[in-house]
Amino acid sequence: MSQIEIIQNIFQGFGVTATVTILGLIYAIPFALVAGVLQYVLLGLPRTLVTAVIEFWRSSPVIVLLFVFYYSLPAFGIRLSSTTVAAMVLGLNIGGYGSQAVRAALQALPRGQVEAGLALGLKRWTVLGCIELPQAIRSMIPTFINQLIQLIKGTALVSLIALTDMTYRAKELAQIEYNPVGIYSGLLLAYLALCYPVTIFGRRLERRSSFGGRQREL
Amino acid sequence: MSFDLNFALATLQTILSALSTTIWVSIVSSLGAAVLGFLWEILRRTSMPLGWVMQVMIDSIRSTPLLVQIYTLYFVFPYYGVTLPALAVGIIALSVYYSGYLAEIFKAGIDAIDPGQFDAAKALGIGRITTIFLIVAPQMLRNIAAPMGNYFISLLKATPYLAVIAVPEMFGSALDVASDTFRYAEPMLAAGLIFLLLSVSIAQLVKMLEQRLLARGKR
Amino acid sequence: MLPQSEAIVEIVGLNKWFGALHVLDGIDLSVSSGARIVVCGPSGSGKSTLIRCINGLETYQAGTLRLAGIVLGQAAGASAAARRQTGMVFQSFNLFPHLTVLSNCTLALRRVAGKSRGEAEDIAMAYLEKVRIPEKAKSYPGQLSGGQQQRVAIARALCLNPRIMLFDEPTSALDPEMIKEVLDVMTALARDGMTMLCVTHEMGFAREVADQVIFMDSGRILECVPAQDFFDGAGHPRSRLFLQTIMKH
Repeated sequence: MSQIEIIQNIFQGFGVTATVTILGLIYAIPFALVAGVLQYVLLGLPRTLVTAVIEFWRSSPVIVLLFVFYYSLPAFGIRLSSTTVAAMVLGLNIGGYGSQAVRAALQALPRGQVEAGLALGLKRWTVLGCIELPQAIRSMIPTFINQLIQLIKGTALVSLIALTDMTYRAKELAQIEYNPVGIYSGLLLAYLALCYPVTIFGRRLERRSSFGGRQREL
Repeated sequence: MSFDLNFALATLQTILSALSTTIWVSIVSSLGAAVLGFLWEILRRTSMPLGWVMQVMIDSIRSTPLLVQIYTLYFVFPYYGVTLPALAVGIIALSVYYSGYLAEIFKAGIDAIDPGQFDAAKALGIGRITTIFLIVAPQMLRNIAAPMGNYFISLLKATPYLAVIAVPEMFGSALDVASDTFRYAEPMLAAGLIFLLLSVSIAQLVKMLEQRLLARGKR
Repeated sequence: MLPQSEAIVEIVGLNKWFGALHVLDGIDLSVSSGARIVVCGPSGSGKSTLIRCINGLETYQAGTLRLAGIVLGQAAGASAAARRQTGMVFQSFNLFPHLTVLSNCTLALRRVAGKSRGEAEDIAMAYLEKVRIPEKAKSYPGQLSGGQQQRVAIARALCLNPRIMLFDEPTSALDPEMIKEVLDVMTALARDGMTMLCVTHEMGFAREVADQVIFMDSGRILECVPAQDFFDGAGHPRSRLFLQTIMKH
């Protein structure tokens, strides 16, 4: 098998990799925003509960979470498709990291912004939605991009629960013919093709994420 | 099949017997990652062609999954006649993968040092290597203690990946119990719980350390 | 509408503690419509805390605080109805950096007063003209000088047509050459009959504009006298000492 054929074979798994990534984002983005905002706004016991949920998803190793949910849910009578379990686990894990970026960005805003909004008679939630979040989102975006890369890379784990993603295809090939150098360099290249542009894009964003940078261009 | 608490407690013991492997693999890999990461960063700061090559290498390390890097090292070394034990491959893989992230952390830490420090070192006639180790490194470490701690926690949480090449760390021993008994829920949950406790408590430790360092910096 | 003579702000026995620190100690104050009051005193005397209590940005622990007839509770977060009666100008401007000057002004008109976009923009432009900065309506705060930003902040506060304007050291974050443009706007506002409570150390402004001067120290109002008397040096020894220190600069 030529190197091109190997890469073609591996890319047959692209659909699964992309599906899990996109479904994962559907879990990750709302979870990050809601959990991060709640952790920022709430006080006392409710805040502790939100923190506990975030820490569960963020601090457990994602590979262990994947196996826990894949193998344990049936024991409790819950049956979900492999794709759903993978997207949920990978998404909420990444979302847990994202929530910390949301909270940190909100906390980093000057206190006067909230006060000025309240002094104008705006409701607390309007201040959050119209004043705090729009400003905080700019500083969250570089972290979100980095987390996107983590998510794409994390999808390689689904090969362990028998989803036929790019990594699974490569492992399959490796059983058909002994060419580890060709197969695994092909697999590394496949992920590089997906993630490298995002890495570069993220680095650019990080360099110019402040307000000043944007406005001086106007 | 329902959940069996007694069985879960029994597996907990088996899994905990692999705790020491998880911990020392984490420590050795962290050291490896720090050394490699610092090397990459110092080389990245050299002249044009080498600096550029290092940048591409660091970005490539960060742009490929750890799982794939482990497979690659594990299956490609023997092809060239190099047979290493799985444990060694695992430690190398973790060191390489996290060196990409630590290089970025080191970069931020060095960028945060007052440029006057380099001028002062030059003015005093201190050599390049001495400047790196006696002036840059100590100040950098203080700047980045917290993010570095977070990456070490992240590395600890990545040790279960080594189960795919049969390194006998905690997650691997949980998988062994599972495949011996055909019961997955209990060992998986037990392993999950241990890792969660471990990473949360180390995170607390890092936070305390950070506060102490900040306090010392202010004095 | 309340009759002209009625007090807009009425404070009786207001007390506030930050832990053991007694920051407001039995404040009694009545601000009638059209009054122009300057509050001064050394830093830490509680003057900023006082005006922040008036629009509910700070909590207090004892006393009553009435704003345009509405009682403000002790918890932070005045009722929106009460808050709409006040316009607040901060030391650090606190413009919203992600919104244009015009949007800074229309935000509350649209969200709080429920005005349409067109209506809100007409009102906002009128006030931007009043503070003499209509040409910057489409700019972002980051593109303006400090003095310009503070004038926008004044226009933003005026948009909801408040019954009293609260100024919290509006010029102390400004470079000297920008102080005048802000004070000119405030003086014009006073001439129009706006009720004002202004924490400031600008004694020239106080002499020209204020009809009453309040001198505070360690959480207490030591003196609340007509401006003339205050500057004639007839007052409390502490306030005379303060005036002497201020004037030396």
